[in-house]
Amino acid sequence: MKCKEASPVLVIRVGDAFCKACFREYFVHKFRAMLGKNRAIYPGEKVLLALSGGPASSSMLRQVQEGLSRETAKKLRFIPGIIYVDEGAVCGQSLAEREETLLQMETILQASGFPYHLAHLEEVFDLPSSILQRVPHNPAGPKNSYKEAVEGFIRQQRQEEGGGPSLPERQIQEKLAEISMRDAPGMEGLAAPEARLLAAVRTEQLIRLFGSVKTLTAKEELLQTLRNHLILHTARAQGYSKAMMGDSCTRLAVKLLTNLSLGRGASLAMDTGFSDDRHGDVVVVRPMREYSAKEIAFYNHLFGVPTVFTPALDTKALEKASIHRVIERFLYRLQAEFPSTVSTVYRTGEKLSATPGDASPAAEPERCLLCLCALDTNVEDGSALQAILVSEQLSQQKLPAALPTERGCCPGAEEQRGCCMNTTAPGADFLPLLCYGCRLTIKDTTCLESLPLYVRAEAERRKRRAAMKLEIQEFLLEDEAVTPDES
Amino acid sequence: MPAPCSACGASLAALRRPKTGHALCRACFLAAFEEETHQAIVAGRLFRPGETVAIGASGGKDSTVLAHLLQLLDQRHGYGLRLLLLSVDEGIAGYRDASLAAVRRHQRRSGLPLHVVSYRQLYGWSMDRIARHLGPRNNCTFCGVFRRQALDRGALLMGADKIATGHNADDVAETVLMNFLRGDGGRLHRGAGTGPAGGEGAVPRCKPLRHAYEKEIVLYAYFQGLDYFSTECVYAPQAYRGYARTLLKELEAARPSAVADLGHSGERLSLRSDLRMPARGTCQRCGYVASQPLCKACVLLEGLDRGLPKLGIGKHRRLRDKLQDGQPLTQEERRHLGAPAEGEPPEEQEPRGELGTDEEPRLQGHVKELIIKPFAEGEITR
Amino acid sequence: MAAPMSLLVEFGGGAELLFDGVKKHQVTLPCQPEPWDIRNLLKWIKQNLLKERPELFIQGDTVRPGILVLVNDADWELMGELDYKLQDQDNVVFISTLHGG
Repeated sequence: MKCKEASPVLVIRVGDAFCKACFREYFVHKFRAMLGKNRAIYPGEKVLLALSGGPASSSMLRQVQEGLSRETAKKLRFIPGIIYVDEGAVCGQSLAEREETLLQMETILQASGFPYHLAHLEEVFDLPSSILQRVPHNPAGPKNSYKEAVEGFIRQQRQEEGGGPSLPERQIQEKLAEISMRDAPGMEGLAAPEARLLAAVRTEQLIRLFGSVKTLTAKEELLQTLRNHLILHTARAQGYSKAMMGDSCTRLAVKLLTNLSLGRGASLAMDTGFSDDRHGDVVVVRPMREYSAKEIAFYNHLFGVPTVFTPALDTKALEKASIHRVIERFLYRLQAEFPSTVSTVYRTGEKLSATPGDASPAAEPERCLLCLCALDTNVEDGSALQAILVSEQLSQQKLPAALPTERGCCPGAEEQRGCCMNTTAPGADFLPLLCYGCRLTIKDTTCLESLPLYVRAEAERRKRRAAMKLEIQEFLLEDEAVTPDES
Repeated sequence: MPAPCSACGASLAALRRPKTGHALCRACFLAAFEEETHQAIVAGRLFRPGETVAIGASGGKDSTVLAHLLQLLDQRHGYGLRLLLLSVDEGIAGYRDASLAAVRRHQRRSGLPLHVVSYRQLYGWSMDRIARHLGPRNNCTFCGVFRRQALDRGALLMGADKIATGHNADDVAETVLMNFLRGDGGRLHRGAGTGPAGGEGAVPRCKPLRHAYEKEIVLYAYFQGLDYFSTECVYAPQAYRGYARTLLKELEAARPSAVADLGHSGERLSLRSDLRMPARGTCQRCGYVASQPLCKACVLLEGLDRGLPKLGIGKHRRLRDKLQDGQPLTQEERRHLGAPAEGEPPEEQEPRGELGTDEEPRLQGHVKELIIKPFAEGEITR
Repeated sequence: MAAPMSLLVEFGGGAELLFDGVKKHQVTLPCQPEPWDIRNLLKWIKQNLLKERPELFIQGDTVRPGILVLVNDADWELMGELDYKLQDQDNVVFISTLHGG
């Protein structure tokens, strides 16, 4: 017991009981300490909180609110906004259920007083291909140190004091006025019935896309990828330079083992670390990473943090239905027997490096089309990847005889090449653009035609560039690997 | 009706390969499996012509298939190897004696020379006796540490240049998972146990089957009519590794490529450069590779000999140092290290730091010298 | 002999889905020879409240790993877990921490 006064209400580590008041203080402090330690968020920066309605992200929102309501000296100094992504279409929710969920979410969002963006997963069909390109971090931005930035900000704030609302508040009001909240890019200027029709078409498209994915494992991965693209797009469109994700320690331990099992070892540190700069301009941060699921559940329960339960892809699915599911169940069970399991896995993840040891920092690595991690598919002698390629080759007919085209998987696509390249490896020409893990996802996708246009267009662009490079290779001088502007 | 074989297109498929999802007929599978092993050997540059290779032979499926394949591929592709079978007798009644019989049958069939080294001969302790002292947990720690050295010592005695072990893709995947579950950063750094050479012992190691699925090894043995011993070790069910094993089986059921995917992950992990890695030195007592003053086997042996069997298990660094400095331990500390609760001598009666007694305490003294020789005399230069 | 007692049993974090989506249940436990503890309560819940997929809530004689239990707003680990003797008017909360965030 910490304060030796009030009665304890929960145990976090063995022999470490907290009363309600001490627990609250501990919890709130931990959030500020995490941000303070990492110094990733600059004063006045716009930060997009990704809210799912689940316990961790809801708790994160409460921490930001707490931080902004403090007296000046202890106040958090960034400008928050919230995004909620409605995934109901692929998680088996009816239209009525989705509306009900949205209503609940909107109540929470409005109560927060922060600007917010409601996005629907359907909007991925209107994303630009540029979302799949890394944008170098704004070089015109302030180059000064974190400390200078903080001091500068406080100075500026002092000057403004006494007249009108303080800076963040004023900006929030401006934002609230300027942001039109619900319009998806493709629906602008459409009359209501047409918009509804378009929305229905999009929902249909989305369901078809997920229907063409054979395994729950790959569906989970695809959903995560698309959701990230959507959040990134909103951040870019609205000028946010950070996106905050509510991954808890427990969640990250699950993610570490899951991604390890999905062949994503190379990008593990980036997928689970505090900050993730794969997109360049918008940096993903994970400030909830040191809270266990238990701490969060208790905090939310004791301090009335509202959460909204939305079904996930795998809700009530069989326990062994996906890699994600198997790992989660395994970790929770082991944790029940060995209480340090989750934190051990989490801390092992902390030991990993986001950049491969031998990569020179100057050379920009080729990035995966879907997840934007550096490609991990160079074939090294004696490697597991090489062995897999050998096995694949040896398990197929030596001479790929010109077989009559087998039935295409998409109606009407039989005649044109494109949809299904062949039955064993759909989208074989897609694969070289992907990292090892995303290749597995795409291999489980039977119909690549149903992928959103921005993915296919960017794939085409990259393939063309690669072909072009190959063509001009012999004319290029050594060291002339400089790619002309990627804009 | 089964689908046609995806490799020859003629025969009907007999199995679906978990690694690639292809359906193959029996003949194409056998050919592919052999060719893959050959390519793994060539690509990984595992052997050089003229080398003497000791095959760690347990009598189980992996080492039986490995020995069969190495002999076959050596003849087929002219590697020019001298192949030997090397068995370790851990002293586990009902398990090792039966599996050693399988090794002997294999030896008679293959004509390869066989050498057996035993824990009792090398360390003065059989696994059965260790287990009696230790209780149900941690047996695999002892067995694993002792086996690693036993193979090295055996290989040296036989004049082998290399040890080939039957580790398969499932073992590699389990190790990757285990290293995360145990938080073993050092092991992650060494390629999570996936690298071509073991790197830890005195004799170079290689794992020619490390990309082969356990399932396919079993299928291969079955189709070839190979005779192997297939009972689980009597101590294995209690081991922590069992959790990783169960998990891997479930992962494979959810996505058959998961075993290979974990192997790929393990190879691509990179550790933060600012983490200090333990320096590699040699054991003060026996000269084996060690990152501490004493190698793990010597610490474990010390614990056994002193009646403190948990000395080398878990984090008892402080207590270990205390023992090395000759300071007496308290009752509680002794209990912590697994000293038996009953029949303990009162603290003040402890004879000058010599802790605990055993029925046959000093029997292995001369044996130890014999073991220490190969390493202490500097025969090994790496 | 335990007298009948009245409890408020709550489910959250998604656990309510296994109970027809109902979060709060005002329940009355019948008389029984031995006193009511959480162990018995779980059995009673399985027989009387659980609507589907019992293995997603109860495994063995305890809750599935990943489900938190609070007794009168305190961690059940402080109250003796399965052996906690229930009192009339107790509030027992089950929160699933599985797949949230």
